[in-house]
Amino acid sequence: MEFDFTRFAEQLINGLTVGSFYALIALGYTMVYGVLTMINFAHGEIFMMGAYIGLFSLNRMVDAGLYERSPITAIILTFLAGMAGAALTGVTIERLAYRPLRRAARLAPLISAIGISIFLQEFVRILPAMGEQVMGLRIAGNPIFPPGWQEAVIGVLEDFGGVQVKTYPGIFTTDGFYLGEVYVTYSRVIILVISMLTMVGLWLLVKFSRLGKAMRAVSEDKDVAALMGINVNRVISQTFLIGSALAGLAGVMQGMFYLQIRNTMGFVPGIKAFTAAVLGGIGNIPGAMLGGYTLGLAEVIGIQFLPAIYKDVVAFGLLVLILIFKPTGILGEALTEKKM
Amino acid sequence: MIDEANKLFSNLTRRFGRQTVMIVGILLVIGVLVLPVIEFQRQAFWVRVIGFTGLYIILGLGLNIVVGFAGLLDLGYVAFYAIGAYTYGLLASGQFGIHLSFWLVLPLAALLAALAGVLLGIPVLRMRGDYLAIVTLGFGEIIRILLNNLRGFTNGSQGVVGIDKPVIFGYVLDSGIHFYYMIFILVAVVAFFSNRLNHSRIGRAWIAIREDEDVAEMMGINTTLYKLLAFGSGALVGGLAGAIFSAWQGSIFPDNFNLFVSINVLSLIIIGGIGSIPGVIVGALALITLPDVLRQFSDYRLLLYGLLLVIMMIARPEGFIPSQRRKLELREEDPQPVTD
Repeated sequence: MEFDFTRFAEQLINGLTVGSFYALIALGYTMVYGVLTMINFAHGEIFMMGAYIGLFSLNRMVDAGLYERSPITAIILTFLAGMAGAALTGVTIERLAYRPLRRAARLAPLISAIGISIFLQEFVRILPAMGEQVMGLRIAGNPIFPPGWQEAVIGVLEDFGGVQVKTYPGIFTTDGFYLGEVYVTYSRVIILVISMLTMVGLWLLVKFSRLGKAMRAVSEDKDVAALMGINVNRVISQTFLIGSALAGLAGVMQGMFYLQIRNTMGFVPGIKAFTAAVLGGIGNIPGAMLGGYTLGLAEVIGIQFLPAIYKDVVAFGLLVLILIFKPTGILGEALTEKKM
Repeated sequence: MIDEANKLFSNLTRRFGRQTVMIVGILLVIGVLVLPVIEFQRQAFWVRVIGFTGLYIILGLGLNIVVGFAGLLDLGYVAFYAIGAYTYGLLASGQFGIHLSFWLVLPLAALLAALAGVLLGIPVLRMRGDYLAIVTLGFGEIIRILLNNLRGFTNGSQGVVGIDKPVIFGYVLDSGIHFYYMIFILVAVVAFFSNRLNHSRIGRAWIAIREDEDVAEMMGINTTLYKLLAFGSGALVGGLAGAIFSAWQGSIFPDNFNLFVSINVLSLIIIGGIGSIPGVIVGALALITLPDVLRQFSDYRLLLYGLLLVIMMIARPEGFIPSQRRKLELREEDPQPVTD
């Protein structure tokens, strides 16, 4: 294969974009792992929910004409809606499916998370069909719901989910600028900037705020943290809230950038982001960011030498290699065997 | 007559242990009761459903050795199933024009799968819990991606078609009922060996490793050897099931071996009762047969499946028919109280 520098540079920029998604999702894994020492297997689905909820709100704003009048407001609101929706999903999952299992054997939360992951994927997929059946319910031959309702409800649900791939309206254009010979679209820059700013914000939050201190205390030792007057349950909920909101942000950006979203979109980025979290050192927040970008770049460099279809093999292969040779990751503390 | 039966039963019990006799008995009863239905109705649907249940029981028994007995959480079990299936598929079809006998390839497939199990086992020997789960998951995905992309070898997503049917003494085994018998016999054989293994010196070593690896090592158990033995024997069973699957179906595709197979198998042993052989059977009936029979709810199948996993983990983490020892382990609470 001939080496083409321009193409390679374009790939590197692509790696940074993809790396931003990985990093944002990886943060959620790492934060949850930090406080609960569990892998939130459903985190990829939280990312997916963010993309769906974001699209749903964006469509509402397009319908209401807000997007035409003030696109920036609409886009910001879309981000906020996606993040809020993902955060709500995450907190609910923690409350219902993980909290009751906090003292159970380690297998239990993992299986529960797998269950949630399947449930969410299916929920999004069959929601319109479910709505149709519920709305079509009859008591003694008479429909329960007035006919007008039925169409409205089904319309809304079909707008939200369903079997088909959903498409974001084209917000990001292909406009851009030349950096030397390399064409960079503004959308990539925007994604990079938003991700970086968010991560710096998170880092400041964890490092300097009261909540951040409490989170670090809980991940150090739940019992001692409780003795010090920290409300452990609340801190865990807040961790899920923040981590899920970041995944929601990534979901909305992914939708805007790649346009198409589907109910299974969370799986591969989920696993990749987990890889990124492990790569950086699980439980370590700067590590997750570093891991995300490293993985994004490693993938694009990997496919310089291998056919592009092996991109996923590169990621999984990397994961296996790290876990074998340096399970603590790049920035990870030396984990005790119990934590592993 | 009844005296005779009692005598036979107590003799068998003394010889093989009560549990084994019960299991084999239950299996025989199920087989005998179910057979007439198939014979009389000649319904392809039932042959298929029960055949698949049997295959999943075999897979469950195999994974149960790894997860249930040795406590090594494996989410990539489908890889061994795939290796078994492709071994037979490639050696007995027009793909390469090789047409070896089923009875020759069956042990070969099992051995290749076992080899793959040991090879996967070596790098992950030091990993535990969630990490092991993710690495094995990655391994399963790598195998699937390779099957999809090594077009010259596996014919990619087009799959391997026209796989030979087994021939026994010149008689071609080509109908569903033949495979039903074959699977039924294999279930009995695997259940028998699995049970004997569990009550052997090896089984006790696995229990020790599962309960506390460090202590087991102190007690002079060669943990490396026994862990590899668990991976190898689990994989061997998966390979057997795979070879039968490909002979039965006559064509195999990479998508037959997706992550969901691994999740299904893991879930069924956990729902049934981890570490328990009757549990595997109950789990397969609950998760494989039941959804197939309840076709009219097929829309909600996966949704309910996900919910069932969560509810089960919260309400009855030890499964329907747990092994007594596992029950104690899974119900055991964290010795250090966590304040709410």
